[in-house]
Amino acid sequence: MLRTLKFLLPALVPSWRFFDVIAPSPRIQFVWSESRADNIEHVSWREFRPPPAHISLIGMLGHLFWNPRRNETLYLVSCAERLLQGYTRHSEDEILRRIARELAAQTGYLQFRLLLVKRVGDSLQHTVAFHSRIQVLPMRDGL
Amino acid sequence: MSFDEAMRLTEILLGFAFAQQSIEHFNSFAKEQRLFIPRFFLALLLIAGVQADWVLLLLFLLGLVQLYYFQGPYNGGSDRMSLLILSCLCLAEWAPGVFWRELAFGYLAVQLVFSYFFSGWVKIINPEWRSGRALRDVFLFSVYPVSESLRLWSTSPRILFVAAWGVMLFELIFPLGLLMQCSLMIALVVAASFHLANACLFGLNRFFWIWLAAYPSLLWFQQRFVSALT
Repeated sequence: MLRTLKFLLPALVPSWRFFDVIAPSPRIQFVWSESRADNIEHVSWREFRPPPAHISLIGMLGHLFWNPRRNETLYLVSCAERLLQGYTRHSEDEILRRIARELAAQTGYLQFRLLLVKRVGDSLQHTVAFHSRIQVLPMRDGL
Repeated sequence: MSFDEAMRLTEILLGFAFAQQSIEHFNSFAKEQRLFIPRFFLALLLIAGVQADWVLLLLFLLGLVQLYYFQGPYNGGSDRMSLLILSCLCLAEWAPGVFWRELAFGYLAVQLVFSYFFSGWVKIINPEWRSGRALRDVFLFSVYPVSESLRLWSTSPRILFVAAWGVMLFELIFPLGLLMQCSLMIALVVAASFHLANACLFGLNRFFWIWLAAYPSLLWFQQRFVSALT
């Protein structure tokens, strides 16, 4: 209860600091292996929901009314940021189970990592900042 | 705009925003559906104006459950604004007298002005925003651009420099819109266009709808307090 009130307080007394600093940006990458024998460490990492190459203006306007995938992706970015501030099982679970649902994988082993992208001078630097546990699939729905 | 008209319009816009948000969760996990399907029907009741006081209270309690479920807001600033509007409407509906009702609703109007002014302030004190570098970084490597083609905008520093200053100056001078009713209308149209652009370019559709829902409070506030002073 106290924790929930702690979440509520920033809504009642907001700080309104949108985009004040453009911080290093997390990307979620994952590996999935059908069997442990495949050795998950040797499977190449794939970016979770990379943005499309192009979206038309009509598509953008349509997203005003229906944009669940994008909003879930932004939620997962929040979970990634929370993980980078300090490990929470909830954020790790949320990312794992939403990747698992997207893969529609019935069985296997799943792991994700967080790649931090930041600008150093004129070039972009990529740093691996977090590895999740290796999760056996299927996961239970709901927490 | 009278207090009652502004309250009612806010309820309708909030109901629409909540219904839109809730529908997006209908295909999600079972537990999420159990949170958002009731929220959708409560939003419809709010739009219809049925027992608004009780509906607002239930929506607020459901909002607390969602905060617990997601261990924080689902969509950062837009969820925080949703809860702020909901809390202010709830208090305004349940408060015992006119003074407390106006205070609750007025608080929303003041926070709406702050949402623009302080967003502009924290940007303009940052040298990276003043040079246009920060907005270039948004397009270059942040998660926000909705497509890869939009990242090419980072190669147009002059345009982004002008855009960055346009955003900062607009956000900072927004409170001056309160001086007259017509200037407030212009400020709100520009602000809504700004949110529309953010929705299109960065996929922040929930911000667009929820910030619109707070506008009636400011229209009432300007008429009730600022016009009376000038």
